[in-house]
Amino acid sequence: MHSDVLIIDDEPAIRRLLVGALDRVGLSHIEAASAGEALRLAAGPQAPAVALLDLGLPDRDGLEIVPQLAAMGIAIIVLTARDATEEKVTALDLGADDFVTKPFDSAELLARVRSALRRKAGAIVDPLRREFEGGSIDRAKHAVLIEGTRVALTPREFELLWALSERPGRVMTHTVLLETVWGPAHRGDLDYLRVAIRSLRKKIERDASHPRLVMNEPGIGYRLANLSSQSD
Amino acid sequence: MIDPTSDRDAERFLRIAKMAERGRLTVYLGAAPGVGKTFRMLQDAARRLAEGVDVVVGVAETHGRSETAALLEPLEVLSRCVIDHAGHALDEFDIDAALARRPGLILVDELAHSNAPGSRHPKRWQDVAELIVAGVNVATTINIQHIESLNDVVAGFTHVRVRETVPDSIFDHAELILVDLPPEALIERLEAGKVYLPETAERALANFFTPLKLAALREMALRFAAHSVDRRLSDELEISGEKSDFVAGERLIVAVSAGRGGAPVVRHAKRLADLLHAPWTAVVIESASARAVRGSQREQLADNLALAASLGASLMTVAADDIGAALVDQARQLRASQIVIGKSRRTRWFEWRHGSVAQSVIRKARGAAVHVVPLDEADEKPDKRREVSTVSENSVAVLLVAITVGILHLVRPWIPPGAIDLVLLLPVIIAATRLRLRAGLWAAMAAALSYNFFFTEPYHTLFIHSPAQIVTFAVLAVVAIVIGGLAGKVRRQAETSAGVARLNASLARFAGLMGGLSGRDETARVACREIGGLLDLEAIIVSLEDNRTVVRGNDAYGRIDVVDEAAFRWAIENGVATGRDTGTLNASDWQFHPLKTSLGTMGALGLARPSQERVIRPDDAVMLASLVDQTALAHERIVLEGQARQVDALHERDRLRGALLGSIAHDLRTPLTAVIAATEAIPVDGDYAEEVRIARAESRRLQRFLNDLLEASRIEHGTIEPRWESVDMTDIVTSVVRDLRQDGPEARVSTRIDSDCPFVFSDPLLLRHVLINLVDNALKFSPAGSPVDLELDYSEGRALCRVLDRGPGLPEDMEGLFERFHRLEGGDRVGGSGLGLWIAKNFVEAVGGTITAGNREGGGAAFAVSLPVATGQETDHGLSHA
Repeated sequence: MHSDVLIIDDEPAIRRLLVGALDRVGLSHIEAASAGEALRLAAGPQAPAVALLDLGLPDRDGLEIVPQLAAMGIAIIVLTARDATEEKVTALDLGADDFVTKPFDSAELLARVRSALRRKAGAIVDPLRREFEGGSIDRAKHAVLIEGTRVALTPREFELLWALSERPGRVMTHTVLLETVWGPAHRGDLDYLRVAIRSLRKKIERDASHPRLVMNEPGIGYRLANLSSQSD
Repeated sequence: MIDPTSDRDAERFLRIAKMAERGRLTVYLGAAPGVGKTFRMLQDAARRLAEGVDVVVGVAETHGRSETAALLEPLEVLSRCVIDHAGHALDEFDIDAALARRPGLILVDELAHSNAPGSRHPKRWQDVAELIVAGVNVATTINIQHIESLNDVVAGFTHVRVRETVPDSIFDHAELILVDLPPEALIERLEAGKVYLPETAERALANFFTPLKLAALREMALRFAAHSVDRRLSDELEISGEKSDFVAGERLIVAVSAGRGGAPVVRHAKRLADLLHAPWTAVVIESASARAVRGSQREQLADNLALAASLGASLMTVAADDIGAALVDQARQLRASQIVIGKSRRTRWFEWRHGSVAQSVIRKARGAAVHVVPLDEADEKPDKRREVSTVSENSVAVLLVAITVGILHLVRPWIPPGAIDLVLLLPVIIAATRLRLRAGLWAAMAAALSYNFFFTEPYHTLFIHSPAQIVTFAVLAVVAIVIGGLAGKVRRQAETSAGVARLNASLARFAGLMGGLSGRDETARVACREIGGLLDLEAIIVSLEDNRTVVRGNDAYGRIDVVDEAAFRWAIENGVATGRDTGTLNASDWQFHPLKTSLGTMGALGLARPSQERVIRPDDAVMLASLVDQTALAHERIVLEGQARQVDALHERDRLRGALLGSIAHDLRTPLTAVIAATEAIPVDGDYAEEVRIARAESRRLQRFLNDLLEASRIEHGTIEPRWESVDMTDIVTSVVRDLRQDGPEARVSTRIDSDCPFVFSDPLLLRHVLINLVDNALKFSPAGSPVDLELDYSEGRALCRVLDRGPGLPEDMEGLFERFHRLEGGDRVGGSGLGLWIAKNFVEAVGGTITAGNREGGGAAFAVSLPVATGQETDHGLSHA
């Protein structure tokens, strides 16, 4: 039987807390205290949909197992310290879905877990149509609907929103967005991204100075708000 | 004007600064005794006293004249110190009393006076020099014939040589006041009995008082005074920056030779150098024959060099055989425009034989003017150690001839008669090359006689039968002389270069030894052992540590006595060799050489010799200078190494502290994470709602506190390295608001954003941290229910982010607001690390922004962060404000 969440952390106190939080919302879970154990469990019969991964593991650097877990189709949420920006970017670039900064708010953590689970469960019905909170984007019709209203986007803005909406709620690093939308030659041209995000926000946000759809993670990247993920 | 950044100017600047600290010297110069120098000095002193200057009389000789004595009346006279010398109590000028009194001006009569043995300085001018250096103004008197560089000239026409001379350098920055009296008037005064002359000197000095000599002396005094005025003028020009170089870049070089002839040449060079305002160098050419000169002449050479040094020359020694060529070569290297050499009166025959250095210099010197100073001294023989061959060498020479003769006898039937004299040349050549010149001559004589006796008819007589025999005799003698002379020269050259090689080898060995040592004790011990061994004397190294003298390097001399210590201190304070055989404090048993380094004086090398001989043999002076330098360098290296180790230790300590902080922070953070997560999980309701709220708030606070500590340590270690990127301030503001919402409903922030604000080029995380700290701070002071306003504006090329609250506002005195652990009034109550604003300020400054604080209209505090918006290259990618 598959489980919902694999908790990978060497601190028993943190594990117990996470277990308690998951239990309260009725999510099933398994626990690993090391990278080796995590890989074994992930490949085992109880293979999880989401992994909560603490990068500071006793036997190996948590970053090392990110690609392996991602390759198994597991959505990875990394638990990191606040100042570990580079670590976050690396984890995301290696295939992690999201990150939660320690010390974390259990409500926020659970929201992220649910969001990840939804992404996993929400099988792609139509490969040319994606939905996100308050809107949808249709590649075939080249149409964007925000709260029922059609919005005209430039091709670049469209590509950007398409990339962000691939998996709403998931953080896309600057590099990934630049490579996807502008091509690998422009992976360092952050200004392109900033300008495009700003004009995109003006078109799809209710108030561009208080964005609620295209969210920024300073120093890391952008994420598109997931359905009800930012409910609080 | 002076630009202290250029090397040359910096040097001049230093010199001027030094001059400004020194006392001023006023010299009353007279052509002869009796012109009224002391009188004039006392008159001037009375005037200065009336002007309010603190005038004190150190020494004034009234020579029993009541007019002069009357002038002393109003002045304070220092008591003399009494020095006991061989049972006589001698009054001397009390320099210590003068230094202790520190008057505005002190009168010290008779600059050329010699102090009683046992005084601090042998000469009064040294006392005066010390007063000047100590910053005391001095007035003094002197007669023209006592001035070192004029000594010869005066002696030349007065036939009275004055032994008490004063080096010219003391007049370098002095104000000269010429006390002039026409010769006739002076003679009148003398005849009227107004000039006091000590009885013993009466007759000799009376020789001065002829109108002709007095006129000559007066002219010299006038010239000297005029020249001195000229130089003072150029000093002032230099200070005002209007003139900075020597006139036309003149440079003078003088060849210093041994013998009494050397001194006048040096003095002449000094006068010439002064007239030309030229720096000058005294060169000793160490030729093979010069190395062979006798000890007393070596000492004279050293004296001549010392004279040159005291007159301001720089010294140099060159090893070469051709004196003329070496001198010209040296002149070229130093770019000297003037060459000064002495020339003895020698017979034409002598010059034809030995060649004249002067002639050769004149022939070779291209572009340089050559000054030849004729020397009065009788023709000095080339003072080389005559190569005296020993009796045994002579016998060996004769024996060589005898053996040759014997062999010739045996082989005679096979040798053509004409070759016999040729064969006899062999022992002569061997003796001349292998032995000394005289042995060669002995061989020549023996060979000639043997030839005559054994091989010419009539045999077995010394009867000379044909002119051919005389020719043979002559040829043998000439061969012996020529070959012997050549061989001797070659041998001497070999000795010279061997000597130089030995010196260099010793120095190299010494340098090698010094390089590998660690610790002052070891360095001192090895340095003293080596220097002692090389120069055949006792050496110690004395240093000043915590104002205590420490003696190192020689177990036999653990400490030094009071006299030695005075000499040592003088040496290190004044940077000159002091003590035995020097001009200062020579009652000490030791001669102290200061160990000067770029870090200051590292102490002194003390040298002593148990015998009465000079401490430094003239031949050793050059080597000693190198040894002192090497020793100083070794000490400097040890100090530098010590400092480097200290710095390393500090770095290590810093590193450890950083690591410790990091690990503590990490260890604290993990349990804190658990605490926060646990308190967040507890629902805020029921009986314990308030307690849960407190636990939540306090654990969040603890977390912020921990973060602040970590950031502070990063700032302190200078490891803040912004990750520069294009930043949209809108993103930063919204993410800050989002972050703060996690803290609960009490985080009430309202934002107003100019969404057209251009991007800034900055570090997003540092900026976010700044805003979080500022908003946190504002929340602490905000009354319940009033929100904190976070505003983003753009104006005049800058993004302006403001954090405003409605709290009590900032006090009038905002000094130290952004300092560490500064707490505002009431801050303690709301809590905080006291680091928040300090961190904010450091971060803002790290990204090139500014942070300001003030009070808000209508109450409350306002903090503003101003950042330059991205310009130039950063906007290349089509940034638009539309």
